[in-house]
Amino acid sequence: MKGIYRVFWKELVQVFRDRKLVLSTLVLPVFLMPVFMFGPSLVLDRLLQGAQEKRQEVAVFGLPEEALAALRAANLVPKPHPDPERAVRAGEYPVGVRFAGGIYRVYGRLSGGLTEGQVAAGKVQSALQSLKEAKVAGALASRGIPYEILTPFQVEVVDASPEREKAGGVLGFLLPFFLVVFVLSGGQVVAVDATAGEKEKGTLEALLMAPVPLLHLALGKTLATVAMALLSGVSGLLGLALGGALAARFGGGLLTESGQTLELGGRIALDGGSFLALFLSAFLLALFMGAVMVSLGLYARSFKEAQSYMAPLQLLALLPLLFLQFRGFFELEAWHHLVPLFNVALLMDALLKGSATPLQAGFTWGSTLVYAGLALLYAVRVFAREEAVFRN
Amino acid sequence: MTEPQVVISFKYMIEVARLSKAYGKRLAVAGLSFQVAPGEVYALLGPNGAGKTTTLRMLSTLVRPTGGSAKVAGFDVVREPLEVRRRLGLVNGGMRVYDRLTGREVLAFFAGFYGLEGKSFREALSWVTALLQMEETLDRKVMEMSTGMRQKVVIARAILHRPPVLLLDEATAGLDVFARRALLDFVKAYRDLGHALVYSTHVMSEAEEVADRVGFLHGGRLVYEGSKEEALALGGGSLERAFVQVVKEAA
Repeated sequence: MKGIYRVFWKELVQVFRDRKLVLSTLVLPVFLMPVFMFGPSLVLDRLLQGAQEKRQEVAVFGLPEEALAALRAANLVPKPHPDPERAVRAGEYPVGVRFAGGIYRVYGRLSGGLTEGQVAAGKVQSALQSLKEAKVAGALASRGIPYEILTPFQVEVVDASPEREKAGGVLGFLLPFFLVVFVLSGGQVVAVDATAGEKEKGTLEALLMAPVPLLHLALGKTLATVAMALLSGVSGLLGLALGGALAARFGGGLLTESGQTLELGGRIALDGGSFLALFLSAFLLALFMGAVMVSLGLYARSFKEAQSYMAPLQLLALLPLLFLQFRGFFELEAWHHLVPLFNVALLMDALLKGSATPLQAGFTWGSTLVYAGLALLYAVRVFAREEAVFRN
Repeated sequence: MTEPQVVISFKYMIEVARLSKAYGKRLAVAGLSFQVAPGEVYALLGPNGAGKTTTLRMLSTLVRPTGGSAKVAGFDVVREPLEVRRRLGLVNGGMRVYDRLTGREVLAFFAGFYGLEGKSFREALSWVTALLQMEETLDRKVMEMSTGMRQKVVIARAILHRPPVLLLDEATAGLDVFARRALLDFVKAYRDLGHALVYSTHVMSEAEEVADRVGFLHGGRLVYEGSKEEALALGGGSLERAFVQVVKEAA
């Protein structure tokens, strides 16, 4: 066991004495995660607000006075133009409107992401809709019919999920996703350095000469990879939490696809058991991926080749997580908890929502441990293969 | 020089019998046999690709033979690799040590695998430091060392546990004249401690200086073996001429 610890220690000392590497792997994510996660939504929030408040000029043709008045009331400035569509296409105006044959045509440059033109087009649309409703209400009133007849009843959808599940709804996907990303990116730093890096630098042969079983070498290197992977994961999650706290503090939030804003600051409530379960899941995931990365790294001829293996591995590892988005569309079966990586993501999702069962946890941890063991055995086999060790 | 006790239990510390290594259909080493006694430097000579490195890798358990057998200090390289590694040191020209560790940390790291910790490590460190005159390397990071200093750490790593058998494979490659001189002096000193050494090189002049016996390796086969004096006589005072003559005759 001392041999394992010795190798583990050496790998981590080597990595931690590389300041640039520590900075890029452990420090930067803490500060970059908030920027990546919440920066765009905060900026977007401000931009949308600014665009809403701004008085945009609108190229108009053939609009009746009541429509022009409605546009002015909506903080827009109608400007007569013979061809509003051309004016918008040429970038002279953010939005244009033509009225002909009872149809209002609103022109805007709507492709290529969210633009001021889209906001202005929305404002025009909204102003004309209000005008339409006012005219309908007036017409109904002149006939003595109440306006409410148009809306005999209301439909309201209420999210009845528990608070923990609401927060977990997005985080249940994001947390495993980022955890896998950070586990892989942090772990690969050690895995590549400890394998292909050793080969390239000419230190591996001396290590293999040590009177220590190959399993101990493989385990020492894998555990160092796991340690760095977990530290990187913690760093990423700290960044995520920091971003959530900042977003809550400054009034921003995370925009969901449905347009709802999810406040993350202080919303995740985990009991001690769930927290430990999350950590164990992350550890087993890191152990599994660490052993895979050590095997791949050792097989590579050089540092560069090893890194080229890691990029597809990362994509491969993220693929099952993408399916996690669709978890609401299928009934979970026992075998889902045996699918590598996907099972860990499912369990994390369930732990965040408070819906994990002992059977699910047992299946996930047990199978991940088996996969990690197999990957470790494979790493030992690669260590024992002289054509792999001396491949450079 | 302070001298550790060397217990000699075998007539030969290295016994190689019909050792072979094939990579597919290509024979890198073919039926090699030789022995090395304690207190002897056996120079394995040959051009690049002759099979020297493969032979030493088989002896150091890094490469598995496909035929024959080899014993180091009485232990079989295939069946008892860990026992062999405990009694063996290997230095090759391309070997490096961890550049972000200090010399002392590197040696402590490897010493631990041989059970050298605490007092026994300090004693071993003191011995090897004196032997190689490498005090200045101990508290310096490897990345900050000169090539010669780094090579001393590589050698110190290989002999810290005082192995009765030391293998050197093109160990002077890339060294400057001072570092090379220090290494050759070390080889003789280590031999004088009663240890068995295999000195593999393609530089015949180095073998002329350190070898007691020589073996000429060509195309994976041992084409000549004898004492250095015999080989020198064969080549009219030059190992290089002797080698060329033997290879021509073998062809």
